[in-house]
Amino acid sequence: MGTPIRRGVEAGLIGGLVLVYLAMVGMITKFDELVLIGTQVTLGLVLLALPPLGAALAAARPRVVGGRVDRLGPLEGLTAGVTAGAITGGVIAAWLVVVDRIGIDRVRSVFIAVSPALVDVLTFGRGIAGGVAILIVGGSALGALGGAWRSLRFGLRRPVAIGVGVVLLMGMLQRIVPTILDELNIERDWLYSKVTRGLTWMGATIVFVVAAATAAFWIDRRERTAAARAEPGRADTRGIARTVGLVAIVAAAIVLPHLAGSIVSEILGTVGVYVLLALGLNVVTGYGGMLHLGISAFFLIGAYASALLTGANLVTAFGLVAPRFSANLNFYVALVVVVIIGAIVGALLAAPVLRLRGDYLAIVTLAFASIAVILATSNWLQPITGGPQGLRDVTDAPLFGISFQDPQNFYYLVLFFCSIAVYISWRLAWSRTGRAWNAMREDEQVADAMGVNTSRYKLLGFAIGGAMAAVGGALFSVKVGTVQPGSFEILVSITVLAVVILGGLGSVPGVVVGALVLLGLPGLLSQLEEYRLLIYGGALVAIMILRPQGLIPNVRRSRELQEEERTQDAWQEIFAQKEQAAAEQADAATAAATLEEGS
Amino acid sequence: MAEVGGAARGRALGRLERLPIRRIVLIALSAGVLGAVVYGSYKTLTLPEGQAYSASAWRDFIVLGVAQGAVYALIALGYTLVYGILRMINFAHGEVFMAGAFASFFFADAWKQSGFMDDQPWLSVALLVVIAMAVSVMVAVLLERVAYRPLRGAPRLIPLITAIGASLFLQNTFRGLFGSQTRGYPKPTGLEGTWTILGIPMQKVQVLVLVVAVVAMVALTLFVARTTTGRSMRAAAEDAEIASLMGINVDRVIVTTFVIGGMLAGVAGVLFALTFGNISYFMGFAPGITAFTAAVLGGIGSISGAAIGGLTIGILQSVGPALLLTGVDVPSPFQLKDVVTFLILILVLLFRPGGILGTGEAEKV
Amino acid sequence: MTSVLEVEGLVKHFGGLYALGGLDLHVDEGEIVSVIGPNGAGKSTLFNVVTGLYPPDEGDIRFQGDSIVGLRPNQVTKLGIARTFQNVHLFPNMTVLENAMVGQHCRTRSGVFGAILQLPSTRREEQRIRERSKQALGFFGPRLAGYRQDQPAFVLSYANRRRLEMARALATDPKVILLDEPTAGMNPRETLELRDHIVRMRDELQLTVLVIEHDMRVVKGVSDRVVACDYGRKIAEGTYEEVANDPQVVEAYLGTKAAG
Repeated sequence: MGTPIRRGVEAGLIGGLVLVYLAMVGMITKFDELVLIGTQVTLGLVLLALPPLGAALAAARPRVVGGRVDRLGPLEGLTAGVTAGAITGGVIAAWLVVVDRIGIDRVRSVFIAVSPALVDVLTFGRGIAGGVAILIVGGSALGALGGAWRSLRFGLRRPVAIGVGVVLLMGMLQRIVPTILDELNIERDWLYSKVTRGLTWMGATIVFVVAAATAAFWIDRRERTAAARAEPGRADTRGIARTVGLVAIVAAAIVLPHLAGSIVSEILGTVGVYVLLALGLNVVTGYGGMLHLGISAFFLIGAYASALLTGANLVTAFGLVAPRFSANLNFYVALVVVVIIGAIVGALLAAPVLRLRGDYLAIVTLAFASIAVILATSNWLQPITGGPQGLRDVTDAPLFGISFQDPQNFYYLVLFFCSIAVYISWRLAWSRTGRAWNAMREDEQVADAMGVNTSRYKLLGFAIGGAMAAVGGALFSVKVGTVQPGSFEILVSITVLAVVILGGLGSVPGVVVGALVLLGLPGLLSQLEEYRLLIYGGALVAIMILRPQGLIPNVRRSRELQEEERTQDAWQEIFAQKEQAAAEQADAATAAATLEEGS
Repeated sequence: MAEVGGAARGRALGRLERLPIRRIVLIALSAGVLGAVVYGSYKTLTLPEGQAYSASAWRDFIVLGVAQGAVYALIALGYTLVYGILRMINFAHGEVFMAGAFASFFFADAWKQSGFMDDQPWLSVALLVVIAMAVSVMVAVLLERVAYRPLRGAPRLIPLITAIGASLFLQNTFRGLFGSQTRGYPKPTGLEGTWTILGIPMQKVQVLVLVVAVVAMVALTLFVARTTTGRSMRAAAEDAEIASLMGINVDRVIVTTFVIGGMLAGVAGVLFALTFGNISYFMGFAPGITAFTAAVLGGIGSISGAAIGGLTIGILQSVGPALLLTGVDVPSPFQLKDVVTFLILILVLLFRPGGILGTGEAEKV
Repeated sequence: MTSVLEVEGLVKHFGGLYALGGLDLHVDEGEIVSVIGPNGAGKSTLFNVVTGLYPPDEGDIRFQGDSIVGLRPNQVTKLGIARTFQNVHLFPNMTVLENAMVGQHCRTRSGVFGAILQLPSTRREEQRIRERSKQALGFFGPRLAGYRQDQPAFVLSYANRRRLEMARALATDPKVILLDEPTAGMNPRETLELRDHIVRMRDELQLTVLVIEHDMRVVKGVSDRVVACDYGRKIAEGTYEEVANDPQVVEAYLGTKAAG
């Protein structure tokens, strides 16, 4: 019994520290403002429950010790879990007591997030003593759940997890789903409360049951079809399913913003702009394997170029003035120029640094992005770029009398360009060009030796990536109507990087999903918005360590291991090594012997 | 199969494909840069009386440059040491520096209010340095343990992406914990004003910065050259795998490296805050990149290279914009000081990726 | 008989270490030439310099009469010199077929616009790349055929990886193929099979072959001519029997034995 308890203590201490961190950084208080279910279950509460649960799961998870999988029995798992949960609760409770002793105001003078509201959340409004008890007991209960989780049957575990996930997601989508239901004239008061905006308990229960039942049915079916597919001569239905899914997604993308209202369209417009940036980065980093931190510079160039070419104005002390250089082109004509500028600048950026090693290339692109922002802000270029105030009166992009400054219409504009970019990315991935990039990413030197002109494909990658990001910039300038240097900081590059990494490097659907999660959700929930960058940073680290292939991996990067030949191969390798060793020992001798034999 | 090949093979390479395009681009680029530098400096130095900078202004630029260069050098050492052993750019090192400065702020603030700082300027600054060092070391070690160690041996770009993520995470952690406003960093009254050394009037803080930086660097050099741990570090920097076969605990060496890098960053944090007088959660970014540039300029992996690179960058940043841009009528040239830094970085990587003292390692594939 | 590949006074040093110390070598059309020599004799460096991976410090390399010094590796490959590596370098996450298709890259030309617009010429070319690559894989008979072609290269067995590397080189439609220790790590049966393949490269594909080999049975079986190197210089040249009898060669081998 010693080991489970030790594991529990270890995991619990880490869980406790994570919880203290979440509290002190202000996330728990902030997220408590968002009610998900009923009146009590807030996002803050969910966040509060995650560390003990996570610690318990971690404590009870099977580990590989010395090549053998070490699994805990049900009782041991439970012990480890309860210990972990209790310790997690204990740590945060202890912290609470210490803060209370020092005095909340004194702590708050340094740690600004430690507020009475936080204490209120942590103690559930029942005073310090009551809070400590609740935290420890609640932690233990969650720990018990986490510790016993793995002992449950898979067919039960998975549907429950999916059900809970769907309920939370529905809770978070509280600004979209009710509006859609209203629009469709569907009664929705049973599902969402008008007071708290969150799900009602009844609604949550129904959603849970439906989701879990669907998941259970689906898992069961999948297992059966997998068995059936193993039999030869059966038609594969996956192709049809995929087509149906694709059609459904396209239909949703077209209809959804109409139903969900202009706020959602506005957010999706931003998501779309980021999808363009991310697809651009995906070409360079996902396909070509070159880390590019300068995508924000192309975003900037695209926005400023299209603004200047379509006749935007400067803000000065004397009112609006035309910039030093400007033209009065139609937006779509300007867009062509912008694409060309983006491609040329991309190639120019890459040209001198072609031979640099990957990490240096990343820093050079970062430096380039910084230079772009500094120059755009500077007094020197103020007559062209407008300095810190930027440019105003960026033209609309009217088409057949439709204005695209309206968020609903803009969404369709951006959707159109995103579709083109998706199509291009997808076509390139499976072409001769894509193959060359792939080879270059896997082994640059060997690709070169096999006849791939790597310099050329690096330039090409940067040019295409730059052009896509520049289109994103041009659309962004139409969307906002103004261009200011603050919108194009390095953080944009890092955000885009996070989108691509989360989705999966080289994966086009991944890019879209990544942008929806990382920009869509914070856009919908102002509570998340404040901690957006913190979450991005954490996500980058966590993904790289835990799941480097991303949410929706690229096919090539996650090929199924063909166990059979792999094992055979391992044997072969050992065999080859042995033989090689023997051969090397005898090398000189045999050589001499055969030489003699020849004579 | 042979006939397919025979048909496609015939084309020989054209003359154009033999041209050393890269070399031509580089030569053109260097000519352009050189021309711009000469022209800009000439214009500035021949400005009519009244518009031109006085001799004392130039002297002040240089003194400021040396002082900030010393701070950059201390941060650059952190990059260089880690790079030497792990061959990775610790992108989050700027945040390690920020953490030290930020933590010491609360003590500085309290001591300023209680009067302790003005009564005991030297003692209080020494204590602030110790506090900053402790916090920076803590952050650096945590960073290594949580973010970098699990990725040891992964392809180069993966730890770099992690480091970028960690940098963003640390910045926003400090923002969440302590707020986003820029705060004034108090200075003991004893450190206001100037001293005249060798006929040059220097601000007392700048003198302090120089002295502390020199002491720290000498201590580091001695440590690396004379102690067993230092020898292990050098061995691991040569070849970590062989070093571990020779019985060196590479994990411990790496932690030691992060500890030392953190200590230097902590010192630099306090010195930077005293020099520029304010701090914010975002203060690590620009000095971080600048110091990285310094490390690359001096030759990444080399300790004296970091010192030389830091001083060079510091002086170029304070003198460069005024010298190159004033004469050609660029308004507010100091807005563009980071442009100078970044251009230097790009140029160094192009022409001498190994840096001034480096081995040309970057050119190896 | 004309020389396809001529190497003259080739020098390459790394710091103070001379990997090649003025090597002369010529390979005639349709010949199989083996390069032998103890470890560190500069054989792999020779390949790396010829294929443009390292620039030579001195000397000249001529391919079909033209100097190829200073060309990038991809240009050398395009001219018609393909190679394999001593320790197999495949693109492990690409499929077997895709690996071979990369080899066809330098013989094809469709670009970005063709791919985006799906021009008929692009489709035809893609089809041709596919067929040609399958043909190259087919050189090794059933070893790299069928379902294997759609598997990622990393699942292949060691011997198959070597074969795939050779198929990829064949897919570049070379005139000369450089094989760096093709039988290293293979078992005796596979070695014999490969010996036949090397001969078939000459006889069926009309290729000129330059091969670095340690296994003397293979050297004896395939070589039209053998070149022995030591310390980056040629110490003997001729038929297998001539070289094997050369006192300098015997000493080079025995000498390394005595030293090791």
